[in-house]
Amino acid sequence: MPRSQFPGGRSPGAGLRRVSALASLSVGVVVWVALLGPVIALGAHLSYGATRASLAAPGALTPLVVSLESAAISLAVLVIGCSPLAYLLAHDRLPFARLWEAGMLVALMMPPLVIGLLLVFMVGPLTPIGRGLSDLHLDATNTLFALVIAQVYEAAPYYVLGAQSAFSTVDPRLEQQAGMLGDPPRRVLRRVTLPVAAPGLAMALAVGWARAIGAFGAVLIVAYHPQGLPLQIWTTLEERGLAAALPFALLLLLVALPLPLAAYAWSARARVRR
Amino acid sequence: MARRRRAVGTVTAALVAGILAAGCGSPAGTGAASTGTASTGAARVSGTADVAYAGSLQLLNDTVLGPDFTKATGAAYQGRGAGALGLSKEIASGEITPNVFESIGSAPITALEPRFTTWYVQVAASPLVVAYNPDGPDGPELSRIAKGARPLSDLFTLMATPGFLLGRTDPATDPQGQAFYEMVELAQTALHLPAGTAGKVLGSPSNPTQIFAETALESRLEAGQLDAASAFLSQAVQLHLHYIALPATIDFGDPSLAGTYARAHVALAGGQTVHGVPLVVDVTTLGQTDPAAATAFVAGLLSPSGRAAFRSAGYQLLPPTAFGQVSAVPAVVRRALDG
Repeated sequence: MPRSQFPGGRSPGAGLRRVSALASLSVGVVVWVALLGPVIALGAHLSYGATRASLAAPGALTPLVVSLESAAISLAVLVIGCSPLAYLLAHDRLPFARLWEAGMLVALMMPPLVIGLLLVFMVGPLTPIGRGLSDLHLDATNTLFALVIAQVYEAAPYYVLGAQSAFSTVDPRLEQQAGMLGDPPRRVLRRVTLPVAAPGLAMALAVGWARAIGAFGAVLIVAYHPQGLPLQIWTTLEERGLAAALPFALLLLLVALPLPLAAYAWSARARVRR
Repeated sequence: MARRRRAVGTVTAALVAGILAAGCGSPAGTGAASTGTASTGAARVSGTADVAYAGSLQLLNDTVLGPDFTKATGAAYQGRGAGALGLSKEIASGEITPNVFESIGSAPITALEPRFTTWYVQVAASPLVVAYNPDGPDGPELSRIAKGARPLSDLFTLMATPGFLLGRTDPATDPQGQAFYEMVELAQTALHLPAGTAGKVLGSPSNPTQIFAETALESRLEAGQLDAASAFLSQAVQLHLHYIALPATIDFGDPSLAGTYARAHVALAGGQTVHGVPLVVDVTTLGQTDPAAATAFVAGLLSPSGRAAFRSAGYQLLPPTAFGQVSAVPAVVRRALDG
């Protein structure tokens, strides 16, 4: 069969494909610019003087440390506490799996402010849980502990559903074959499940991190102190106005973005390699 | 297996939709816009009264004043509530463009002079009270103080006790937070409390164990997770909270006692020192958008029915008085001031 039946090796379909590719690219650019609109506006409205004044004020960077510290703890809690749940959900090992998933969706759809209000009823100092925590010298009101609780509640549904999706990409036959070859379950998990699910898990981690470090609604209610970056942005806006608050929004972007970006890049490369 | 994968796919799609849809919870209430059709009462006007109000005025504006205004004039109403100081900053930066501003205290309005306005009208006082949890460990004692069976000084002795769960708002962002701090200072002198009582009650101005966002403070008290909290009388009335009324000399609700209130002060983290001022609802119009609707809304606040709404909501009425450049007060508002 000849390579092409048309002069120059072109078919009418090739032109159509090129137009279609151009249209897709244009739509992609429009969507990308629209999504980045707020970030572009942020860049346009930042002034060097206001940024320098805001970031150089005494104690201005303490919330950055609080945010990094609390989000790192929250991420550890998510990985250790929520990954097994995601694994069991993905492998249908839990009774009433649909009920568990429905519960996760309810938590996902709950406005963060409402989560905070409900946490007050659950872990407030005069509740049974609050009294129990007090016996352990823990306080779930205006403490780092309270901040982590709020972040975990805001981020957990995103992480669990993302991790569940990642684990469900693992073909169960692979795990079964590894088991038949004599690998104990823990080894199957380490050598088969986790490597195959890793790209998806990386993305779930990235989403969990972004939700934790950017948590605001629940945090506002249960942890006005110690202030992380989202609350600092709000109080600075209330106290000193927009120009003073925007530099902290930039700071939040700068510290929150590298992990998701790295996870995305690694995940994309890992998928291509397959 | 296919069904299982479809289910996971559905959940993943929901996750993506959730990520795109989810936003931060907002501390600021935003009243629903309403469009009027009625034609009775005041003269009909067109446009929208876009009202920015101090957070504590939300219920009154969104459930009474706004709907009444729409009914009487046919104009639309939309409201937004937040801390008055924060709203003032947002207006100054052009982030929001309301045409009516209701503030607690005149400072957030005068900060906008002369670019946005040159006058304001005093409507009512919003005195401070101490709201309390009747079911908490100290509930019975606080109830006795509220009824007058125990002296008011006992309240401050109780609040100074270690372990007492007191809540107040942030003096850096909220006039109520400033006034509550100053109220305890004034109480130490007025009630002849032992030296150092105010310090034991409050700690530092930004004491992390006591400071909450306004939304959180009310909900914590309603959830029974605080022993007592700062509140405006109007909030206590509207939310049906138990409260202890304070004498006029320390409740910041009497403009004639401005000199007394000014003796108390709070030092903010930025190095600024704020002296006590009466807690008064002041209102003005801003900008050039729908001025007829804006002035009609303010005139409505000053009408007999508007004042009755303020009284029912727990505010103490003051003689309607204009401040600033009185000649700049719009004629419609001036007529309402003259009764």
